[in-house]
Amino acid sequence: MDSDSINNASSTSVHNGKDFSRKKRRSAKLKQCKLDARREQWLSQSVVKNKVCCKAGTNGGDSKRTPRGERDSSLENLEMRRRGEANGGGENGSVQHESDSESLPSNSPTSSLLLGGTGSGTSFTNSSSGSTSSGGCCSGSITEEEGDDGCLDDWEAVADALAADDDKQEMERNENYRENLCSGSTPEHEPNPQLGLNGARSDLRNSKPECQRTVQMATGTSRAWRVDDAFRPQTLPNLSKQRSFPATDRHFGQGGVSWVRSSAFSPPSSCPICCEDLDFTDSSFLPCLCGFRLCLFCHKRILEDDGRCPGCRKAYEHDPMEAEASIQGGSMTFRLARSCSMIARS
Amino acid sequence: MATVNGYQGNTPVATSTGTKQPAPTAKTVDSQSVLKRLQSELMALMMSGDSGISAFPEEDNIFCWKGTITGSKDTVFEGTEYRLSLAFPNDYPFKPPKVKFETGCFHPNVDVYGNICLDILQDKWSSAYDVRTILLSIQSLLGEPNISSPLNTQAAQLWSNQEEYRKMVEKLYKAPNA
Repeated sequence: MDSDSINNASSTSVHNGKDFSRKKRRSAKLKQCKLDARREQWLSQSVVKNKVCCKAGTNGGDSKRTPRGERDSSLENLEMRRRGEANGGGENGSVQHESDSESLPSNSPTSSLLLGGTGSGTSFTNSSSGSTSSGGCCSGSITEEEGDDGCLDDWEAVADALAADDDKQEMERNENYRENLCSGSTPEHEPNPQLGLNGARSDLRNSKPECQRTVQMATGTSRAWRVDDAFRPQTLPNLSKQRSFPATDRHFGQGGVSWVRSSAFSPPSSCPICCEDLDFTDSSFLPCLCGFRLCLFCHKRILEDDGRCPGCRKAYEHDPMEAEASIQGGSMTFRLARSCSMIARS
Repeated sequence: MATVNGYQGNTPVATSTGTKQPAPTAKTVDSQSVLKRLQSELMALMMSGDSGISAFPEEDNIFCWKGTITGSKDTVFEGTEYRLSLAFPNDYPFKPPKVKFETGCFHPNVDVYGNICLDILQDKWSSAYDVRTILLSIQSLLGEPNISSPLNTQAAQLWSNQEEYRKMVEKLYKAPNA
């Protein structure tokens, strides 16, 4: 199951990437307009704001020196992030995800934070939450000076990623629903010890139920922002590197490993009998208690033949067939739900 | 070709029928999936790096493989190498391949024509088995024969005397090369 969810994740991300580039091209003009408008607005206010800016800068320096101030600012960051999350619904992961799939480090909020240092923490939160509100006009101007494109790309990415994340979450919700249906699927959640750290982490994240996952990601990122201010600039680039090529990385790195591994240990990505890829229905199909998985075609073929499980040589029982039916029902509802959501969005 | 003299007349006939059999009767859909399975098996076998076993398809027919196994250490077959032929049916892996020794093998469960009496190649076959597990099974069969249902009664009788058996194996193994 975990391999399947990985596939799904990668496919959605690929899809998002495509979608995003298309949207990006389409809205390039629009972006430029907005950018110009905002720059004019800023220029008209700049006479007043320059003083405020300087003041803010010194304030930022002060807070940098005193540890308590730094803590406060970081807490403020956190709080702002939380607010942004509440608005956007789990944008934490999506921001990273989007910027990673684009693989332009200069656009990612991470690098802007690193470049800006501690003082521009607020500016980062503004740019990432996509609300250049009136309150943060000073820090907002800082981000604009840093890189117009980066700032714009950020909130553009956020908007796109929000939709993508919604989609993903919905898929996962459906997946969970189906897992609940298929009660015998507990062993597949075990993190695989043979995988590397990266693989294990992504496995965990992918196979965990949705709510846990979002919580995990939220805490992970918030901690990362705080620590990263001064101490560990390495972790975030590592993160982005790890997820920068979702499709290729997972297929050739992890897929290769799982392919060498015997199919008995973890749910295989392809049917061990015919070597065709297992689709969504196949990979949640558990016809025998021994845990031997195979595709529905091969299962049918074996039922027509001697009807014994290739894994344990015992005859297939009738109960798993009922389970199969319910799983098929689940997949149908899943498809329905997805199409409905697509209609609702577009 | 290390073939025992007495078997030579039979082996070429057997392999040629094995070669020709699958190709004409192959259905397109079926053979396509069998092809995929055999190709990935070949990949897995080459990546696994198991010592003492190897197999590769014959030149133009992926349904016909030639394999080799070496006698395991601390058995009477240590230091010997045996060639086998594997002929895959069109409904592989739902049906087992036909596996035969091409090199003469003095073994209780191998007859003079190279036929092997191994349960997983007959009624205990499972589609989860592959070339690698077949060859490993045969390799372990060499050291642990099933004396109760022998194809080669002479070998079965001699098995209790491992020293004599070892001499017999060496004698028969070296005979065609000498």
